[in-house]
Amino acid sequence: MERFDVIVVGGGVNGTGTARDCAMRGLSVLLLEKQDLGCGASGGSSGMIHGGVRYMLSDRKVTELACRDSGYIQRIVPHLLFRIPFLVPFASKGERARLEERAEWYAFEVYFGAYDQYQPLKRSKPSVRLGAEELYRVEPGLRPGLHGAIAFDEWGIDANRLCLGNALSAETHGARIRTWTEAREVLRRDGRVTGVRWRDALTGEVGEAEAPVVFNASGAWSPAFGRRAGARVPMRPGKGVHLTLDRRWSDYGVLCTAVDGRQMFLMPHENESIVGTTDDDFYGDPDDIEATHDEVQYLLEGAASMVPGVARSRITRAWWGVRTTLHAYGPNEDALSRDHRLLEHAADGAAGLLSIVGGKLASYRAQAEDATDLILSLLGRAPAACHTHEEPLPGGEAPVDVAALASRHGVAEPVAGRIAYRHGARAEEVLRLCDEDPRLRLVLCKGEGILAAEVVHCLRHERVRRLQDLRRRCKLSVGSCGGLDCARPAAQLAARELSWSPEQARAELADLLEAGWRERRAVLDGHQLVQEELLRGVFGGGA
Amino acid sequence: MVGGGMAGAIAALAAREAGASVLLARRGPGGTALSGGAVGVAPDAGAPSTVPFALRLRPMEAARRLAALRPAHPYAIAGVGRLAEALDFAARALPGLLAPFEDRSRFLVTAGGGVAECGLCQRSQVAGDLALARGLVAAVGFRGHLGFDARPWAAAVAGMAAAGAPPSAWAEAELFGGPEEGTLAPHELARALERPGAAEAAGAAVRAVLPAGAAVALLPPVLGLDPAVRVLERLAAAAGVPVAETLADVPSVPGLRLQAALEARLAAAGVELVSGKVELGGWPRRPLLVAGQEREARAVVLASGRFVGGGLVRHGELREALLGLPVEATVGGESGTRLAGRPAPSLTRPERRAPQPLLAAGLRVDAAMRPLGESGQPAHPRLFAAGAVIGGYENAADGTGLGAAILTGYLAGKAAAG
Repeated sequence: MERFDVIVVGGGVNGTGTARDCAMRGLSVLLLEKQDLGCGASGGSSGMIHGGVRYMLSDRKVTELACRDSGYIQRIVPHLLFRIPFLVPFASKGERARLEERAEWYAFEVYFGAYDQYQPLKRSKPSVRLGAEELYRVEPGLRPGLHGAIAFDEWGIDANRLCLGNALSAETHGARIRTWTEAREVLRRDGRVTGVRWRDALTGEVGEAEAPVVFNASGAWSPAFGRRAGARVPMRPGKGVHLTLDRRWSDYGVLCTAVDGRQMFLMPHENESIVGTTDDDFYGDPDDIEATHDEVQYLLEGAASMVPGVARSRITRAWWGVRTTLHAYGPNEDALSRDHRLLEHAADGAAGLLSIVGGKLASYRAQAEDATDLILSLLGRAPAACHTHEEPLPGGEAPVDVAALASRHGVAEPVAGRIAYRHGARAEEVLRLCDEDPRLRLVLCKGEGILAAEVVHCLRHERVRRLQDLRRRCKLSVGSCGGLDCARPAAQLAARELSWSPEQARAELADLLEAGWRERRAVLDGHQLVQEELLRGVFGGGA
Repeated sequence: MVGGGMAGAIAALAAREAGASVLLARRGPGGTALSGGAVGVAPDAGAPSTVPFALRLRPMEAARRLAALRPAHPYAIAGVGRLAEALDFAARALPGLLAPFEDRSRFLVTAGGGVAECGLCQRSQVAGDLALARGLVAAVGFRGHLGFDARPWAAAVAGMAAAGAPPSAWAEAELFGGPEEGTLAPHELARALERPGAAEAAGAAVRAVLPAGAAVALLPPVLGLDPAVRVLERLAAAAGVPVAETLADVPSVPGLRLQAALEARLAAAGVELVSGKVELGGWPRRPLLVAGQEREARAVVLASGRFVGGGLVRHGELREALLGLPVEATVGGESGTRLAGRPAPSLTRPERRAPQPLLAAGLRVDAAMRPLGESGQPAHPRLFAAGAVIGGYENAADGTGLGAAILTGYLAGKAAAG
């Protein structure tokens, strides 16, 4: 029986962030994730580190905190962030804007003017009011007839690598991270939880771990986990679907209005565009979820209403996550608070069990800090200062000179750039592998700039246990080709590095392809359908 | 003939043999050039890997069974009575490239370490037929290149031991041209092996690492694009053992070789080859437009492929690209053209490995290979279809793709000439 101060259940951004904070404050930590890091709502989010402009009316403190934390995240993991300026276009119902419409736009301008006071906290530029002519100059793909826009500044991130970075950092501070290991039962004695019984899904190994505090950060799965301890975790789970388009359809994020009047967006994200998002109550099984045809059409129609070209675009995948918004009876899904809450379950006869509900990706660090403060007090430890906003995550230690990196290791600059984006200062370590073994210069994916060396680096240093984990480490096989070039060589590299048998490597390859298929099923059309036929020709249907 | 892959080429050659003058128009290489390079005809799908090769259904018998089980498959619609004749015709059309047709399955190792059952194969693949190979099969990858791992190939051979496959081992040979070749794509490696002396150097490198008792060396499918350069033969002579290629994934050197051989044969047979778009809108009342030129044709064969070939497109719903002919899909035992308008999730199944109705959609034809219009009657008496534009089977994935292309191409070509 292993003993820890705290067992964290869930490898999303709340779980990994809290594991890191706890470990940095001297606690012994075990993190259990039944799949891979970032598999749930974290990896399935839009990847925005925004300042919460929406919350300014209800609670300015939330906005200030969100902006401050966005600034902290930029400080600790600068390589993973990228600026996404957003446009709020001004549309009128008639050809000429009516007085009320003009008044509304003016109100917008004032509103964003107020937001500007928080923007420096996250190194964002102040908002700008654009006239119609300027608007079409910066974003010519917008539909005709707009009267101008407000441009404001936000930030995007690779959420999967953010989870990974937190987990790796937690490990260097002594935490134990187990992926593909499910906390199956909660151990209890005298009204207290005392630990969990876990099972490794890959090896079948089972074990028990003891800790006076169990932190339930399992997102959409947390009500089910709570029930195992007799605890109730109330929430309003909401399904959010995003589409990925094969290219950048705009330079700016564009706020759009869906057919039902909901606000949604089209935004450039790394090499692609993302359309998001739906927000619907979800009472199904979070392990058995897919995007549906009507969700795809709803998103596409909303985005095309503002950027008409999108109607012809190639959708490469539709993906999903389940939000864990705070429970409230009555309001529509997207009117629910994105605030977070920590629930103690002593009254349920499960003292020592703590659940987190709600929250946002952008505030994960602050949420983890709150959780860690509470965990320390539950453990009866003296308060200790949080340093997660000061110490960089792996790769965030120093800026990278991409041109120098590329020439030092003799790789193409765009490839070096993509690797530096994902790995920050550790890109040097990745590319050094090429110097030692020139075979690792093989480009596995031209779209994402994945070298064999990067796959090997991830396999060796980034807690990869299954081939599909590489989808989240380096975007292996999530692009428009569905893994046509990269999947087989990556499976073979994994077989070498992780000592898989050929049968196991084939099973892992099939599983990787299955994951991609589930995301493409609802969007097989046009060129993406052509690609699917080719992919099936290479990897077989039944074979 | 519209389309220059296997179906269009066989249709053109069959029509030519029947005395017709033939024009073949194609936009570019399609699915055939992307194939693994051998011809899947009718895998004995039900047989577990432990059933001895000698007890497996032969392709003709397997095709008959398949036709009985799957009424929408072109084998069922066309009948398999002339399948052997068609395959023999194809093999004799490409004598330098393909091994002669025998009614016997070849069991060939795939690039990913599977085993595919094929009815025809390239000469470069013959020595790797697990049903015929005797003695140790040595899977040999290139040490300097990560794209070809020989271990899964050796494992694939070992996995068929109960069926009678020979023993296997794996080895890695030095890359023939030095480390800079470690980043080349398959077709680039194939060209590199065509350089003077390269095949001999590669053969010597293979010889140096062959395990004792190796009777055949199974190599990456990159042994030259042009059969006339005789990379395989030169390499085998230097290696001192017979050599075979595995099947390929994309980019597929054996697929490109197959495509090139078809085009050479078409030219030699006096088929007029035109690259460009075909417009069929007014035909037969008006001439058809081939690459912008008006041409008269007594009969037209649509061999325009499935989605890769461009014969079918889906923009919200499925349609045939040139004439807008109705496309049929089969879901859960129900077939019909109206099914082709359903959303993609309704035409697919959640498990990737399951047969996928969307990927098996296509034209419905009568026994004379004439595509059917909305009324269920032939769209035109002199319009024929061949290959993957015809639905009822998953051309890319069910192991019958090129076999069905050859049968339907042969029948459509003969009918068009008749």
